Amino acid sequence: MAEYDLTKTIIPHCDRHLVFPLLAHLAESELFPVEQVQAAQYELAKETNMVDYAVSLFEQLHPDEEVPPEFAAKRENAVSTNERLQQEAQAVLDVIEKPEVAQALRQDKNQNLQFLKDHYNVTLDQITALYNFGKFQYSYGNYSGAADYLYHFRVLSTDPDLTISAHWGKLACDILTGKWDVALEELNSLREAIDARAPSMPQFGAASSSTADPALAQLHSRTWLLHWSLFVYFNHPQGRTLLLETFLSPTYLNTIQTSSPWILRYLAAAAVLSRKSASGALSSRVRHSIREIVKVIQMEEYQYQDPVTQFLKELYVEFDFEAAQKELGKAETIVANDFFLGEFREEFMDNARYLISEAYCRIHQRIDIADLSERLNLSRDEGEKWIVNLIRETRMGADAKIDLEKNVIEIHRPPLPIYQTVIEKTRGLAFRTQALGAAMSRTQGAPEAAPAVVEAQ
Amino acid sequence: MSRFFRAAGDSDSDSSSSEEEELMSSDDEGPKQAAPAAKPVMSRFLKSGGDSDSSDESSDDEEEMSDDDEQEAKPKQGGRFLHGASSGEESDEDVKRVVKSAKDKRLDDMEATGKAMDNALKINDWVAISTEFDKLVRMAQRQQNVAEPVPPFYLRTLIDLEKSLNAAVAKDKESKKKMNASNARALTAVKQKVKKVAKEFESELKRYQEDPEAFERDFQATFVPEVAAPAKTKKAKKGDEDEEDEDFTTVGKGGKAIQFTPESIFKNLQVVQEARGKKNTDRAEQIRILEKLLEVAVTPYQKIRVLLALIASRFDYNSSVATHMPPELWLSAQKEVDQLIAIVAEEPAYSIQEITEDYDELVERSPETEKDGIVRIRGSVISFVDRLDDEFTKSLQNIDPHGTEYVDRLKDEKVLYSTICRAQALYEKNKQEEPLGRVVMRRLEHIYSKPDPVVVALEATVASGDLKPSVILSSDDQTSSLIHSLCVHLYKSGNSLLRTRAMLCHIYHYALHNDFHTARDMLLMSHLQESIHNADVATQILYNRTVVQLGLSAFRCGLIKEAQATLQDIFATQRVKELLAQGVHQQRYNQVLSPEQEKAERQRQLPFHMHINTELLEAAFLVSSMLVEIPLLASIDSEDQKRKVISKPFRRLLDFADRQVFTGPPESTRDHIMQASKALQNGEWEKCRDLIQSIKIWSLMPECAAVKEMLAKRIQEEGLRTYLFTYAPHYRTLSLSLLAKTFSISLRSVTSLVSKMIWTEELAAALDQSAGVVVFNRVELTRTQQLAQTLADKVNAMVEQSEKSLDQRLGVSNTWNDRPDGGKGDKRGEQTQERNRRGDRRGGARGGARGGRGARFAQGLGSQMAGNTQRNR
Repeated sequence: MAEYDLTKTIIPHCDRHLVFPLLAHLAESELFPVEQVQAAQYELAKETNMVDYAVSLFEQLHPDEEVPPEFAAKRENAVSTNERLQQEAQAVLDVIEKPEVAQALRQDKNQNLQFLKDHYNVTLDQITALYNFGKFQYSYGNYSGAADYLYHFRVLSTDPDLTISAHWGKLACDILTGKWDVALEELNSLREAIDARAPSMPQFGAASSSTADPALAQLHSRTWLLHWSLFVYFNHPQGRTLLLETFLSPTYLNTIQTSSPWILRYLAAAAVLSRKSASGALSSRVRHSIREIVKVIQMEEYQYQDPVTQFLKELYVEFDFEAAQKELGKAETIVANDFFLGEFREEFMDNARYLISEAYCRIHQRIDIADLSERLNLSRDEGEKWIVNLIRETRMGADAKIDLEKNVIEIHRPPLPIYQTVIEKTRGLAFRTQALGAAMSRTQGAPEAAPAVVEAQ
Repeated sequence: MSRFFRAAGDSDSDSSSSEEEELMSSDDEGPKQAAPAAKPVMSRFLKSGGDSDSSDESSDDEEEMSDDDEQEAKPKQGGRFLHGASSGEESDEDVKRVVKSAKDKRLDDMEATGKAMDNALKINDWVAISTEFDKLVRMAQRQQNVAEPVPPFYLRTLIDLEKSLNAAVAKDKESKKKMNASNARALTAVKQKVKKVAKEFESELKRYQEDPEAFERDFQATFVPEVAAPAKTKKAKKGDEDEEDEDFTTVGKGGKAIQFTPESIFKNLQVVQEARGKKNTDRAEQIRILEKLLEVAVTPYQKIRVLLALIASRFDYNSSVATHMPPELWLSAQKEVDQLIAIVAEEPAYSIQEITEDYDELVERSPETEKDGIVRIRGSVISFVDRLDDEFTKSLQNIDPHGTEYVDRLKDEKVLYSTICRAQALYEKNKQEEPLGRVVMRRLEHIYSKPDPVVVALEATVASGDLKPSVILSSDDQTSSLIHSLCVHLYKSGNSLLRTRAMLCHIYHYALHNDFHTARDMLLMSHLQESIHNADVATQILYNRTVVQLGLSAFRCGLIKEAQATLQDIFATQRVKELLAQGVHQQRYNQVLSPEQEKAERQRQLPFHMHINTELLEAAFLVSSMLVEIPLLASIDSEDQKRKVISKPFRRLLDFADRQVFTGPPESTRDHIMQASKALQNGEWEKCRDLIQSIKIWSLMPECAAVKEMLAKRIQEEGLRTYLFTYAPHYRTLSLSLLAKTFSISLRSVTSLVSKMIWTEELAAALDQSAGVVVFNRVELTRTQQLAQTLADKVNAMVEQSEKSLDQRLGVSNTWNDRPDGGKGDKRGEQTQERNRRGDRRGGARGGARGGRGARFAQGLGSQMAGNTQRNR
């Protein structure tokens, strides 16, 4: 199963600190030799300021060797830097934490800066100290502290690059501390920041400066965002639907297809997982997510495929239930071993079975229960129970009947009456026409110049 | 008159003895007077053509043309013409040696001209006067160039002319009607010219008018001291003619000797260069001279100079646009370019540049004499390489592609390719980015469409050479990596045209190697389909070729739908050959092309070996159309749905075949496919397969066995689908195993095929698992129901249409149906969506398969590319 492990592909798109949980998971899952994973962990920790952790890893790795002396020096250094930075940052923090200051702060950042400068003599450099300290705290693993500092910094700073950087830092902190609600908020604001960022850059001037191409940079940050968001979406209770919402939006779907097709596994899994919740007021995109994802999977098959995507493909493109069942069997272990999906194994299997049986029932008129159970990777008795539940739970109940004597399910789906199809077809028309009318009257109301401007774009 | 004719014969040579000239000029009057009177306009034209010292190619061609046109007229005017031309050379060449005679001669010339003018004046022929005056002015100009004082004769003529001019104008005013238009025009022209010249020589004129005699005396004074010389020179020259010295080689019928020694190289070179582009210059002769010069050239500087001139004159050899360069000449030109490159590469202190500071052409230069140690010589290697390549293509266009000559000529591509690579190496060494880009493009264009073995062979010659470019194909490499690195180089260069072309070549190469997905992704990411309409014709042709190759690669990969959609566009135009530049435009709809258009089109044609076989292309397109269209046809049950057509050209052919009363055995590819289609419609998949597989043209397709196998499989599947569509109404149930047996497909794939059809609601049926049958539950529609459905569909289509047009009108994509979260979209979102939809629309036009995909690249990397292409415009 190691060949389907995505940790290696994902790591380059994650922050150093975010990789720790990934590696810890690998160590548990025993897909790879423990020593290798530990070595990787040590390599990872060595470069951070988490000296004690690195030392302990080193001792684990080389129990009979002396701890290299540079760690002591590094530790020393880290402690002193910490103190220095803290002092610098403390000055600002003292000011900000005064209640009257908090009240005086407004939306306008420039005004705030002016205010702080006038009344408390806080300069921009001092505010940057907040950022530095936050970053340093992050580097030695004090994530919640770092989150605080970065938050304050972001509120005050006007530097766009540092703000974005603080954004990322805050998101990482929230992920690592496991505050998923906060992380989700952070993720959304970061996403907006990234999406809003590109157009501000000159698109047409300076043609040859391909190195700092804004579009490329945007693609890059989107790819990173995709990977980081996996942490949030697979831990937040609402995460899966939100994941579908985000990942299926055209921009991110493009990003997936262009730069990181392996995300398709998570997309596919999320689609399977959110089957049940796929009711209520959701966008059509999520409701038809499976169909859309299958299309993408088919398109990207030459770039990426694994049992999870293959399962969907066999089921919805080839309609080869046997193959789908086989893929599902493989997918089960993959899901179980995956860092993000591991928790959802049961749920995934349930939903996947449901999908199979739904497709199966739609195509078949008379189904042998034994056969279906086999298709679902279930024993005969379990299968029967499952099918009965299925029939009871869904609206199929009216059409399907179990004939226990012959051990078959009979499904009689009377064809949709013609008038109903016509109604179905024309349902949206009135609304759409209204919308048309509204749009037309709106433009008439608007100044005449509007269309011209739009055309000029 | 015999003398006159001899002179005309001599006019081929660029030399003439002063002795002859003297006689000639005195002789001249007769024909001269007659000629201008007879053909005033032409003579003027000829003269200016003959005398212009321009050496650029365009005027060269022009001259050549006029030369051809007026061939017959020449004997008549030869004398006069020669006169002008030769005097032109005389004045510039070997000044020291012939200075005396030249001076004499010039004076005589002037007087002769003056006389002619007098004569013309008498008959009031201002046209003649105008031409003669021009000549006179030019002579005087030359006189000044050699730093001689203005002859009094000239001034006298000027004054006379002014006087008579005034008189003529006065007379003219009274009797305007008598003078014809051209004469009147000439009169005013002369008037203006005289005024101008008079201004120029104001001081001299004044001096002359004050005291003509003194002026004349002065003039004589400067003249006399040298007067002794001419006799000697003449003798010496005569001696040259008679006895051939070792130092001298007599070249040219005119008896003019050229000294081929290293010292005189530059002089000779200048002579040749001045003659270049002139009428009546014997090009073969020039080449011979230059070749000799090359032999004696010693220093690199000399060699470079001579080579530059020699290559240029080789290309001049036949400048007519239509015909191509003889292969022998081409080969020697190629060798010389090689030599040139080798010299420049060896001697880093010499550099050939298109723009240099002015330098004295007659002085030997070396790195020591230059300020910064680098000798810059005016010239351009890249233009030679370009020309070499163009000439090669031109010759291939003109040679019959089915003869052995063509194959022989093709063999020269090897040396050409290595020359290009050497040029690349040179520019890499010199770090000249702009020509490097061009030369890399040339190289790329030679290999992008070739199969691997050919590329390997071409590369082998490069690898064996001494001068290697940075990127070569090593023995174990893939050609695609070579192409890739060449293309990447061009992507990085700033030139947008080269970038576009490189991209297309790259895509073509991927498509050729059956890497359909990569090729398709690249094409879509490039966003070229949006801007290609603004590109130049050659690039558009390349684009068409690329798209077609992409379609073929999809076909080879078994992606029938994609192949059909890709090829659809080009076949819908019915001008496949023209669009691929593989045949000329067929004249239809009373369209008449002007000869220029026709010529331009013929020049655009690709040489035969680059062609994509159109018959194969058509076979691929029609077969994929068949596989898409026949099941669709079968699934249609009501008449009014028949309009749903995917492939119009195929449908047309099928209808035509249907109308035929009697069908004979298939002969052409089309016959095969049409009969196969009929068989497929009838469920006879085996017959269909046999017919398709017996098409001979498949043998031209690489991996044809695999392709045939793939086709057989497709035919089985589509046959099954067609069968189900066609016969479903007649069955209540149908056993799956029977279907599997009939179509020789495994039961499993039959099940999956049928399931797919049920799932997509193409087939109103269900599977009975225990019995292993398909149960059809077909509902017969009543007329009313059917109409209601059609109505609903139409209303739907109408709403969509109005939405779309409103969208277009507003420009903003605030769509209200399936984009609920588009509302909050900021400006950028809207823009990209707009772009998206544009892509969709285009994609829709090109066939559905690509639309979604095209849209997806609108963002991400895509927007970057879009930026590029917009910048390109």
